[in-house]
Amino acid sequence: MISATSASAPHTNLRPASEVMKLERLGSMFASRLSFVRSLMRKMIKESWQVSNTVFDLDSKGHGLAIYRITTPGKYYECVIFSRDLAPDQRSDRVIAEAWDVTFALVEGEAESSLLEQMEANVPLQEAGRQHPRVLVLSRANKSLRNFSQFLEALASGRQPDPAWLTSVGYLYRTTAVYGNGKFGIADFARLERNPDFNRPFAAQMLAVYVLRQFSIEQLDHMARAQSPEQAVPLHRELQRYLGIGNSTGLGMAPFLINHPQLIQQWVYGRERALAYVRQEPANEQTHTSLRAFMARALKHLQQTVTEDTDQTLRNRETASSIEKVITWLDRTPVHIALYEELIDWAKEHCSLEAQELINTLLIELYPERVEAIDDELGCRESMDLKPDMKVRQLRDLIHDKFGWALNYSEECPDDNYWFWYRSVEKEEPRLGVRGTESGAEKEMALAIGPRISRCLVKLEEFIESNPNAIVVEFLMAHPGQKECVRRIQTMGETPYGEIRANLWHKDMKPMHLLRTKLSFFGASRFDPKSDRWVRITLFQGAPLPDELHNAQLPLHQLDDWGFPLEPELDGMDKGQTARSDRL
Amino acid sequence: MKVSFNELQGLSRKAFIGIGFDDGDATDAADMVAWMEAHGLNGLAALGKSLDFLLNEDKSQPPKLIYQDADLCVVDAQNKTILGHASLAIELGYAKCRARGLSVTKIRHCHNRMLIVGYLSRIARRDMCVVAFWRNSHEPLTEILVSFKSGEAEPEICMYGLPSTPDDTEPNDGITLVMVNHVDLLPDLKPEAPANDLILQNRAAMLDWHERSLVDGIDVDTALWERLKVLATKMLVESSDDSRQGAGAGTTDND
Repeated sequence: MISATSASAPHTNLRPASEVMKLERLGSMFASRLSFVRSLMRKMIKESWQVSNTVFDLDSKGHGLAIYRITTPGKYYECVIFSRDLAPDQRSDRVIAEAWDVTFALVEGEAESSLLEQMEANVPLQEAGRQHPRVLVLSRANKSLRNFSQFLEALASGRQPDPAWLTSVGYLYRTTAVYGNGKFGIADFARLERNPDFNRPFAAQMLAVYVLRQFSIEQLDHMARAQSPEQAVPLHRELQRYLGIGNSTGLGMAPFLINHPQLIQQWVYGRERALAYVRQEPANEQTHTSLRAFMARALKHLQQTVTEDTDQTLRNRETASSIEKVITWLDRTPVHIALYEELIDWAKEHCSLEAQELINTLLIELYPERVEAIDDELGCRESMDLKPDMKVRQLRDLIHDKFGWALNYSEECPDDNYWFWYRSVEKEEPRLGVRGTESGAEKEMALAIGPRISRCLVKLEEFIESNPNAIVVEFLMAHPGQKECVRRIQTMGETPYGEIRANLWHKDMKPMHLLRTKLSFFGASRFDPKSDRWVRITLFQGAPLPDELHNAQLPLHQLDDWGFPLEPELDGMDKGQTARSDRL
Repeated sequence: MKVSFNELQGLSRKAFIGIGFDDGDATDAADMVAWMEAHGLNGLAALGKSLDFLLNEDKSQPPKLIYQDADLCVVDAQNKTILGHASLAIELGYAKCRARGLSVTKIRHCHNRMLIVGYLSRIARRDMCVVAFWRNSHEPLTEILVSFKSGEAEPEICMYGLPSTPDDTEPNDGITLVMVNHVDLLPDLKPEAPANDLILQNRAAMLDWHERSLVDGIDVDTALWERLKVLATKMLVESSDDSRQGAGAGTTDND
């Protein structure tokens, strides 16, 4: 495991943090080949992981128990899934929900009868249960009722469902939380980081979600057969591949991003290094053609993406419009060595932020071998230590040099102090309140790093006036409340990308950008905001199926090329029968 | 009941914030308790014993620097827990050692001294050899010696009872730290050292314990756990219809 700062060697053409770490740009990022779902799938393909069903004890309504065994080169795991009836009024995406359509857990080794019994009593309770230390991931999911019933009806009557339904909502199940790292008694990440199967960030969580996708396919087929044994057909393989798993998420992403700056540094640094490597490569006819093909696919994917959110619809249209211009630009621009640099410069003038980041994402796709090693460099051992012997004047210089972005904050400006972040007594759900209007500000979470640094500097300047030769620990003995902030400044000052450069209290701050930042690293597609602080996305749409992972006929580069999936065209599908009018 | 390391660390941090610790002190105190517990050094029991005291302690007063020169500092913790601002006294000793090669830090009038081992582990990781020494004042009089090699996160711990109580008019509520950053001080017991009540804990045993904690989870006293949960809720905001909107999602999500 890499220490948080050791991998931070400077690179000649890395983009500056002042550009990359602006919240609006981070909130414009797309899933890339370095995203965790892509990275996991590559590992599974390279190592021929097996995912097979071992228990499938479901009734005709799809309720019961299913177990999947995942075999890796050195170990095996089981994903245990409990499917139960859920009253519609209990189906909630919120963390405050208390029941779900399915609950599931990934365990190390076999879920033998005693463990299974313990899991049966606790996994369905989720946060309210006590989970076993061999459980690596705990999660739950709810059905997309309309997709589920439409798919079931179609398959049971011998038809394939309309692919357009999956373009609107790309899944049958939507997870509402995927817990790892010791939550509710499950295994700590410290245990996983020594395990080569899951030592990358969120790898175990993503595997559990991938297995749920396979369960959703097999459960659907099972229910269709049970409903109509004579007529039912299984889900077409193209549709299986086009089926993802949804995720609904809210403000809970924000505390993670702020509380793990060293990890965020590794993620962003990895992505930026990949881009820097690619920008050094000379373009040629082949890469020019590939880039155009990637652009065309991404454009179609964007044009097919459906969201009810007005702002996001506008952003998608702007991005699609920009990408159309990029394709035209590529068509009229002859190949030359510095083509990528020219494209990036041109895009800054002519494309939306999202389109600029999409270009970067697709450039990284061109050189898989150049960026492959970064897959294993996205984790780090987090540790923030004080440098107590640093001179206070040096600390002041460090703040001005590396944290100038934080110093625009004003105590007196109402807009600078508009929001506050807090946790509710209801399952500690993170929430956002308006300062001075809503109660609870006195218990706010310390997420606004910018204002904290700004306040720290005020105290530091005062201290320096009377103690110009003092060291940091002497400042802290006078102001012990600044310890956390100073430790963070000293640690993150050594890295370029860990801090999101925004005042999270500011009235114009958009929480959705925070959500998208993290989700893009997960590998989310079909970004579908449901409010200004709650979003649904799709994972694994287009990903290879389990039986394709170890198919020697399918080369890695082909299996790995599943980003920006497109609606499949099924043979014999009567387009006039589509159910687009039933879209959500 | 069994809990994970991350759960123990997380709940302790929230409880310390609920008690009134600053963010930084809450983080450090939680790390100290969790580290001790995961290494078989009864961090939770020590915390449990001191909770009532902690709740009534004035958190606003930082430790008072009584004396310092280039090599030595004496800090009065003012009868407060080592879990609070006392980490700064340790950092002061660390800074002096970095400048001079060796430092002596005396922290007077502090409680929960055993928990200091959790913070010293962090200091040792930062390439510092640390030796801590203190006496417990109860009968029989005991001495405790904790020794970290530079760069190693686990110490050797030696605790022994003294055969007779010396004439000692000073209260035994302080702790002495010796730090060196170019050599390792590894005190061995003298051959004639008292063998009564001798407790030796070595690195290998602590590493084993840590491994078991990761694999099997950590046993905690349910009553103490519930008490920490109650303290942790002090940082949570009461819910209302308005505040439920603050998460941005609906309460039912059928589609």
